[in-house]
Amino acid sequence: MSRIGVFICHCGENISRTVDVERVAAQVGTLPGVAFSTDYKYMCSDPGQGLLKKAIQEQRLSHVVVAACSPRMHEKTFRKAVESAGLNPFLCEMANIREHCSWVHEDRDEATAKAIEIVGMMVERVKKNRVLPTITVPVTKRSLVIGGGIAGIQAALDIADAGHEVVLVEREPSIGGHMAQLSETFPTLDCSQCIMTPKMVDVANHPRIKLYTYAEIEHVEGYIGNFQVTVRKKARSVDEDKCTGCGVCMTKCPVKKIPNKFDQNLGMRPAIYVPFPQAVPNTPVIDRENCTKFKTGKCGVCQKVCGPGAVDYEQEDQLIVEPVGAIVVATGFDLYSIEEKPKGSAIKGYGEFGHGKIPDVIDGMTFERLASASGPTGGKILRPSDGREPKQIVFIQCVGSRAREKGISYCSKICCMYTAKHTMLYHHKVHDGQAYVFFMDARTPGKSYDEFWRRSIEEEEAVYIRGMVSRLYQKGNKIVVMGSDIAVGVQVEIEADMVVLATAVQPQKGADTLAQKLGISYDKYHFYSEAHAKLRPVECATAGIYLAGACQGPKDIPDTVSQASAAAAKVMTLFAKDKLEREPIVARVREAGCVGCFYCQKVCPYGAVEEKEIRDRQGNLVKVVAYVNPGVCGGCGTCQATCPSKSVELDGYTDEQIVAMIESL
Amino acid sequence: MTPKNILKYAYYPGCSLHASAGEYDLSTRELFKKLNIGLTEVPDWFCCGATPAHNVDELLSLSLCAKNLELAEQVDGDLAVACAACFSRLKTTQHVLGESDVKRKQVEKAIDAPVPLNGNVKHLLDILARDLGLERLEQAVTKPLAGLKVACYYGCLLTRPNDVPNLDCVEAPTIMEDVLKAVGAETVAWSHRLECCGANFTLSRPGVVVQLSHAILDSAKSAGADCIMVACPLCHGNLDIRQKEIEGVYSTQYAMPVFYITQLVGLAAGLGADKLGLDALIVNPMPLLKQKQLL
Ligand code: SF4
Ligand code: SF4
Repeated sequence: MSRIGVFICHCGENISRTVDVERVAAQVGTLPGVAFSTDYKYMCSDPGQGLLKKAIQEQRLSHVVVAACSPRMHEKTFRKAVESAGLNPFLCEMANIREHCSWVHEDRDEATAKAIEIVGMMVERVKKNRVLPTITVPVTKRSLVIGGGIAGIQAALDIADAGHEVVLVEREPSIGGHMAQLSETFPTLDCSQCIMTPKMVDVANHPRIKLYTYAEIEHVEGYIGNFQVTVRKKARSVDEDKCTGCGVCMTKCPVKKIPNKFDQNLGMRPAIYVPFPQAVPNTPVIDRENCTKFKTGKCGVCQKVCGPGAVDYEQEDQLIVEPVGAIVVATGFDLYSIEEKPKGSAIKGYGEFGHGKIPDVIDGMTFERLASASGPTGGKILRPSDGREPKQIVFIQCVGSRAREKGISYCSKICCMYTAKHTMLYHHKVHDGQAYVFFMDARTPGKSYDEFWRRSIEEEEAVYIRGMVSRLYQKGNKIVVMGSDIAVGVQVEIEADMVVLATAVQPQKGADTLAQKLGISYDKYHFYSEAHAKLRPVECATAGIYLAGACQGPKDIPDTVSQASAAAAKVMTLFAKDKLEREPIVARVREAGCVGCFYCQKVCPYGAVEEKEIRDRQGNLVKVVAYVNPGVCGGCGTCQATCPSKSVELDGYTDEQIVAMIESL
Repeated sequence: MTPKNILKYAYYPGCSLHASAGEYDLSTRELFKKLNIGLTEVPDWFCCGATPAHNVDELLSLSLCAKNLELAEQVDGDLAVACAACFSRLKTTQHVLGESDVKRKQVEKAIDAPVPLNGNVKHLLDILARDLGLERLEQAVTKPLAGLKVACYYGCLLTRPNDVPNLDCVEAPTIMEDVLKAVGAETVAWSHRLECCGANFTLSRPGVVVQLSHAILDSAKSAGADCIMVACPLCHGNLDIRQKEIEGVYSTQYAMPVFYITQLVGLAAGLGADKLGLDALIVNPMPLLKQKQLL
């Protein structure tokens, strides 16, 4: 006969406000098998856990049900407490009477009745829980980092410096990400290239970092400590080992006029190219879509001029499998192209701003390239349309951000500061020019940020207009900016030479596809979700996968670097152990019943089902049955639902338990 | 059930169409007859409250529209609306009452009837572009408006407030241009398509209207338009009736005819000047139409 203890939590007032916890305790105390039941204000606190341990020992409890919040929140906490009182931790279950009850109901009587039923069901379930041994698995002490922007670079360097191998995968031909595109950085105005490129070189030279550029994640298998990642290394058409980086091919390539994405399409590049002179690696790549050799079979100039014979038109994509124990996702952001209305999305686009139609309406990143010493204009601020210096320039903040009616309600976080920086850079370069900024609020809470913003107004003479812009249109060679100044309550019209839009920060395109490969969750905007907004900000809910940088939400450089180092620290914590303990909630096959149809093998998303031969004493093969490898099983239960002979069951979720739960109602 | 391909609507003309905008009413009826689209005027309809009512008393403005919506239920088919202001008010009423049970109950008490929240209210443009469809509209054209450069003027109410009329993209719509291209006209890209003309300040602060409408005429002219097309009687009044006055104030000359959508589409569908009420326009369109050989 079981002696079950039931512990009902008030969760401060979160539960007790709607659920009469005392009545629940009294009622479930009468259920068959329940030996003890009580309630307490904060079950998860030290005195709460103490109460639980004391009861287990004094009442000689055999099973425990904690009725409180979601098991996602505190199942671990309570199982640990139960274990320290000498009971197998898997004899403890949680009944969720907060998210599933008190938070979603108003009527106290009805909520209390429901809470009693929820607890009653868990009592029936826990009765049939088995003692489960902890499963240990080895840890592969190598980490994958996806994305070679500042976040990925920082995380890779930190992990590698701690003595572990790192595989860094970058989609573009060079690492560096968006930070390599920036001119100067707030709030100190140090040049981005000067602080970034040395780190890029460190990555390239690090003995423990294996760098794949021009590569993407094809496929991910496995689980924490034991992932198998397939990397697609796209054909570069240049042999990285032979290439010396002399650059002759690029100067001789007759195709010269391909807009360079790194320069926001302002500058041009050849068909064989490195995205920018400081690229790492400094190995060119052939853009096969624009290369004459690939298009028509003629040309082949680069191969002829290449001294070491590195150009290889026959090269093919390579698939490489890398075993790793942890994954850091650092895929970064992209700027919202406001002229587009993304299909099938709630985002509406801003046709009224003429971006993409009026050449001198540009976005913030394009301004960075204009202001950058290594940019297409050599650092001169010039209009894309006619190369003249703009004397009146208008900056518009919050374009796309904080615009619920247009589909994005979040703040992009970096625009207030970079626009202030832009006005300064502009003022330093065009002394007789005037900058105007349309803004909703100035959000400058970082260290030394507000001082920086004030400087743009007080010393660099930017005119800030509080209000938004309704429309931009071309009039002769001017752009008319129609807006409102809500501080004064008037309409304003400015005839500008150039307009810079601080367009919203969005996750990289394809963020959702990558998330599906990794099995991590994302929000409606496709930013990746952290396991807990406050207490687990760099971990994914999927164990062994960590987040760094703007793929999780808009972030500036200091925040990105902090998060990247935090993610690296989490990886090191994982690697500090030789073996990992895994939850033993895995499926088991009842071999007597198994008919060997192997439907379970086909449906198992973890690839955990193997074949096992059953032989008699003489060694004759009797039958082949399924075997679930407990180290690989993810505990999803798909096999259980599929098995036609009901021969595979998930511990803790057996048919018998589920039927018992239903019957208790 | 209305059989497929036969379109039938309840018709809410609104006060202006029975008064200063008689030619909008006439051309709408004639065009729809020509296109075989049924229009049955809502019996006993009355003013929607336009812009004044909701500035004075929200309950009143909602109740006026709610009652009209209720009257429209007696007639088969979706509700067709010509005036941009009526359209915006009727749609806003459905939206507001759909969001607030409290207000809906107040209004239902005031009109002593349930408010039909799900009835479709459609602007003429929507009917032409989507219900009839651009393809069928194209087929109905007997005299394409070739060579006529039109500035399509939406004004501020046709697409707004955000998420309410759902006629087209709020800030960068194309539905007027789509319809006009289907009937063979050329549309110009211009800046003031969605700016306010001053609306009913025309009576209380004509100075404001002169200034705002001038900006619209000026923008259309510099974009190379021959004429302006509107879908609202108030816009029409300000741009057409006040055009001479504006020309005087700014010492300039526009002579820019201002047509209703149904007049231009009607012309392309082969209707004569008398059926389109072209003689009621203040800026004489005849020289332009003759020059383009459209009459
Ligand atoms: S010419 Fe050959 S060695 Fe030189 S950069 Fe090009 S591919 Fe590399
Ligand atoms: S084959 Fe010709 S076009 Fe292609 S990259 Fe080499 S030089 Fe350029």
